[in-house]
Amino acid sequence: MLLKPRHRDDKGKAQVASGQTIDGQAGRRWRGGIAMAWRWITAILGGYGFTVAAAMLSARILPAPDASARIEATGWPMLLSFLLYAGIGLWALHEVRLGRISMVIWGGALVMAILLKLLGVRA
Amino acid sequence: MNGTGMNDTGAQRGWRQTMAWAHGWLGLIAGWILFTMFLTGTSAYFRPEITRWMQPEIHAQAASPTQAANSAIRYLSRVGPDDLQWYIYLPDERTVATRVFRAPAKPDPRHRKDELDLDPVSGTPLTARETRGGEQFYRFHFQLQLPHPWGRWLAGLCAMAMLGAIISGVITHKRIFADFFTLRWNKGQRSWLDAHNVSAVLGLPYHAMITYTGLITLITMYMPWPVLMNYAKPAQFMQTAYGTPADVSASGVRQPLVAIAPLIRDAERRLGGPATRVIIQHPGDAAARITIAQAKRGAISSRTPVATYDGATGRFVSRSGDPAVAINTAGVMLGLHLATFAGIALRWAYFVMGLTGAAMVGTGLLLWTAKRRKPGAAPFFGLKLAERLNIAVIAAFPAGMAAYLLANRLIPAAMEGRADMEVSAMFWTWGLLALVQLGLPARRAWTALFGIAAAFWAAIPVANALTTSRWLVPSLLDGDRLFVAFDLSCLAIGIGFAVAARVSARPAPKTPGRSRRSMEPAHA
Repeated sequence: MLLKPRHRDDKGKAQVASGQTIDGQAGRRWRGGIAMAWRWITAILGGYGFTVAAAMLSARILPAPDASARIEATGWPMLLSFLLYAGIGLWALHEVRLGRISMVIWGGALVMAILLKLLGVRA
Repeated sequence: MNGTGMNDTGAQRGWRQTMAWAHGWLGLIAGWILFTMFLTGTSAYFRPEITRWMQPEIHAQAASPTQAANSAIRYLSRVGPDDLQWYIYLPDERTVATRVFRAPAKPDPRHRKDELDLDPVSGTPLTARETRGGEQFYRFHFQLQLPHPWGRWLAGLCAMAMLGAIISGVITHKRIFADFFTLRWNKGQRSWLDAHNVSAVLGLPYHAMITYTGLITLITMYMPWPVLMNYAKPAQFMQTAYGTPADVSASGVRQPLVAIAPLIRDAERRLGGPATRVIIQHPGDAAARITIAQAKRGAISSRTPVATYDGATGRFVSRSGDPAVAINTAGVMLGLHLATFAGIALRWAYFVMGLTGAAMVGTGLLLWTAKRRKPGAAPFFGLKLAERLNIAVIAAFPAGMAAYLLANRLIPAAMEGRADMEVSAMFWTWGLLALVQLGLPARRAWTALFGIAAAFWAAIPVANALTTSRWLVPSLLDGDRLFVAFDLSCLAIGIGFAVAARVSARPAPKTPGRSRRSMEPAHA
């Protein structure tokens, strides 16, 4: 892969040499693994939830004065949703700060879900 | 997944770096399934042709659409006068049979199969060997032989990974134009990277199109949710969007159907294209409805208009209106994916592009392992696993596909349950080869499995010659282009695998002067 793991390994070696226990390193690895798993879960599941909520919300708030406009307002968010899903998922793999990713994706999905609940089905 | 610098806090990493990392992992995890999806999907451009080859007993009988509809209705009136609905798929230049589906009023639990192929001239059921035909590869392409709905969800997830890999791959790449002309043979990892780039860049518009439109084919499953916000009754969306005429209920008064031929001619005039599908609701009832749909060839959109008639009087009822722009767009995307509009030349072009897709995924998978292999060092577990899965998918799966076609000729035509046996042949061959290769060193396993795949594919025209009278020479003399092309294609694929076996048997190329390390940052 890229240059980073070597960099990290070097650091690890240096720490072992300076008297730190192997346990500390293993613990950090373990935490890193959980962080990585959470990142992928957020990208895949969270990203889908975010996309579903965003597609539903835009379908609901796009203007639909007549029956055919209502079809357009429903159809276009469906058709374009996969682009949003790909975009938000890749961003979750790009952004370093995991807290920020969680907040935007899970938090954003939650806020949109509340809005949807408040708006209800279009009359 | 060993971190790869993802936990470096504070360090601002560029998109190109992170996307290279994302591209590598998305491609690896989804790549094995994507490879099988690309191969089976590519074969599905010739779905009816594969079915025809797999039922050599049926010979093409030219019949006009009106003649085929007439004979089919004659047959259906005899066997199912009280049915709720008949679907009649008229033959065209790619299919030889009239395909009918019956929806009986009281479904017979013992007799599940209400789907039949009829002779378009006489209207009698065609008898041919039992097979799933081209349908098998087509269904595997999006259902992965898993129970519903899991296969479709997994296929969709892999398609999303593909979309993510395409976008991240393009971001990673800075020299798309230069890479188009760069292919350095026989330089180990560098060559795999070049091959991956050439196949990816060459086919980029196709790969992006086929991936996105593939997601759209199952959009009502993957993304139906916006409908819930705009329609209290979700079924209403489909009805208004597609202009489906409301269902009629039977009157209980018997009245025979009008002659179908004038209606088909009238529908073809109103729709502006040949008719392809006739749906008859409540046949034999005074309230019968006849719906006639226009063929998909010539129109890119796979949503073609329909004309509806009163079945008892022949009175024209309605023609489906022009759908909303979003629905039309979905129809065009669907059509672009399925290539139903395409003529023979364009379908071959699609076929070749599909193969570049498989090549792109395959070279990407090989690149992942080539990059992590250190000369002289023992491979770590993940690398060994990836390498073995690569062999199991890239070399063993095509052998399984060949076994399916081979079984069609080797299992006796009259045998009970032979359709399922053909499918079993495909998966047993694939599974056994995937296991057997573990007994060989990786390099030898590649050669052995490519060799077996070559033998299987080359054996198909031979088995065809031994068990049928429609082998290469008589087919050539008859001018039967389909059978000639099928045998020659199998032979060509076999030769391709033989070349792959030869190449993989050559000793490993020496890595050129540069050290592995200096090459590393070039790509994920």
